[in-house]
Amino acid sequence: MAKRKRVIESTHVRDGKRKVVEETVVLPPVISSDEPPKKQPKWTNRERVLVFSSRGISYRARYLMNDLRALMPHSKQESKMAKKDQLYVINEICEMKNCGKCLYFEAKKKQDLYMWISNCPSGPSGKFLVENVHTMNELKMTGNCLKGSRPLLSFDPMFDQEPHWSLLKELFVQTFGTPNFHPKSQPFFDHVFTFSIVDNRIWFRNYQILEEDGSLAEIGPRFVLNPIRVFAGSFGGTTLYENPKYRSPNELRREVHKRFAQKYVSRVQAKKSLEERKPDEPYKRDPTDDVFLTIRPEDTTGKAKNTSYRNS
Amino acid sequence: MEWLCKLRVSRSGGNSLPDVSMLTRPLWILYIITSLAFLLLSSKDVHYSCSMMELTDELQLAFAEGRLSDGLNVQLVAPKTFTNHVEGLKAKLAELKNGLGWLERLDLTNEPAPAQPGTDMVGDEDIHDDFKRELTFYRQAQATVLQGIQQLQKLGVKTKRPEDYFAQMAKSDDHMKMVRQKLLEKQVSMEMSEKAKKMRELRKYGKKVQHEVLQKRQKEKREMMDAVKKYRKGQKDKLDFLDDKGPPNKKQKTGQKQEFHVNKKREFKNQKFGFGGQKKRSKMNTAKSSADMSDFNPSVHQTKHSYKSGGKKSNAKKKGPAKRPGKSKRQNMKSRKR
Repeated sequence: MAKRKRVIESTHVRDGKRKVVEETVVLPPVISSDEPPKKQPKWTNRERVLVFSSRGISYRARYLMNDLRALMPHSKQESKMAKKDQLYVINEICEMKNCGKCLYFEAKKKQDLYMWISNCPSGPSGKFLVENVHTMNELKMTGNCLKGSRPLLSFDPMFDQEPHWSLLKELFVQTFGTPNFHPKSQPFFDHVFTFSIVDNRIWFRNYQILEEDGSLAEIGPRFVLNPIRVFAGSFGGTTLYENPKYRSPNELRREVHKRFAQKYVSRVQAKKSLEERKPDEPYKRDPTDDVFLTIRPEDTTGKAKNTSYRNS
Repeated sequence: MEWLCKLRVSRSGGNSLPDVSMLTRPLWILYIITSLAFLLLSSKDVHYSCSMMELTDELQLAFAEGRLSDGLNVQLVAPKTFTNHVEGLKAKLAELKNGLGWLERLDLTNEPAPAQPGTDMVGDEDIHDDFKRELTFYRQAQATVLQGIQQLQKLGVKTKRPEDYFAQMAKSDDHMKMVRQKLLEKQVSMEMSEKAKKMRELRKYGKKVQHEVLQKRQKEKREMMDAVKKYRKGQKDKLDFLDDKGPPNKKQKTGQKQEFHVNKKREFKNQKFGFGGQKKRSKMNTAKSSADMSDFNPSVHQTKHSYKSGGKKSNAKKKGPAKRPGKSKRQNMKSRKR
């Protein structure tokens, strides 16, 4: 401010020398340094994701959930939900937690893991069966990354080919992508989330960027999502898409049981049919063979006893 | 009646009626044998439940319209239809999109990066081939990284973490230590197995070489003996085969000596039992050594002369060579020949 003033004064002096009246100096309305500091467009995307599960999940699923929480700085936690609660309750939980997206892991029969991904108040939502889970703790995953650095999201071109895939892609982008300038995030890029479609399933991988020329190391976790349904609402509503190739693990287990049961049944049947197929006489006999076979009177039974006797 | 699809099956058992009244309405997998007319006519004898009466009405109607015919009618279950509401999906997608810039989203859609030359990545994709499948995912991520980093740098965003920037990592240091240890272990075990494999191969090769050497030596010996035999019989008058084969033989022998010099077994035994041992009393006679006749050679030590002079005369007469016959006998033999 002071500097400015001086400059103005000096001009005044000069003007005074010339003695020409030019005192109407147009000054800018606000001095640039007085301007309020330029606001950086920081953290405009306030997306939060609620990551939680139902009761009774397996340890592996729990580890997977924790890995996702570690990798997503914009995630929020919630205690496990009782199974008897209806799913639409989750919408209210999300509202309470200020979350716009939700990843809900639902365990069934202590062995099957389902994952819901949902855009919370208004939908859509998708339900998947989670298969082939490998967590970040496995020693074969050699990569590492900053906790909370923003991931690049890599998608298979298949995601743009069918409407249900593209809808799921948008859901994944908004859920797994960390908002820019998130306070818990790091400003560097050192890992990639990969979503690929093979065998009508979505395969998730997480790689560390070792060098920017494209050498990678896997960090984990890995899992496969087998889509079941896509709903218009959040955790319910009309079904928009139903996977025709999906077969529930219950069904598959039943088939296995049946196959084993069939083994016994077929064995018994085979025995029975063998009995039936066995001929009464193994080879053709000449009926005249036993013409001269006679029964001794001592060996006769029944009425024949009366007809034959030994002369003595 | 739309549910009632018609399926004609061969008539079983003429006009015998199964107990239709056993079937309940929801079960509806109907077996109606014989024509409807028969059903209606014979209703005197058979008592139907209320629902059955409704059914018969329905069937009657169907029959009148000509949608039923004689034979076995079975309800078919329509194949399950799977919803795929494309319009709804598209509408929902449009609703879901929030119009944020790429820097917020960081999503990229990529084909897998081209495979490295020399890798066998061509051919149909087999999902059960783990290695191939994982490599496609890896290449997809690679393509994304190459494109994404470039795009970020264009936007003027720092991508690479400086060396002196420390922050909490996703995996703890302890965990990474374990990973490193595991990697090392794996490497060591791989090296060991490779070494063992190499040794095994070497041993095999060594055996082969030894066998060959033995056979060669035997062959040379045979040839030498043949040559000597020929020389003896007078077929050859030069002894040059000795000169020819001499030097290489000698050379070989020296070579073999060098080879035999390192006798691993011997060395090991020496190491185990000690080399040499006590020499004291080793040259003394014992009962065994004095009874040993192994170095007694009758052709050397038992000459004819000593035999004749030392042996008994009677024995010598019997075992001696055949004597010349007397003069008269010899003359007789001569005359006989003539």
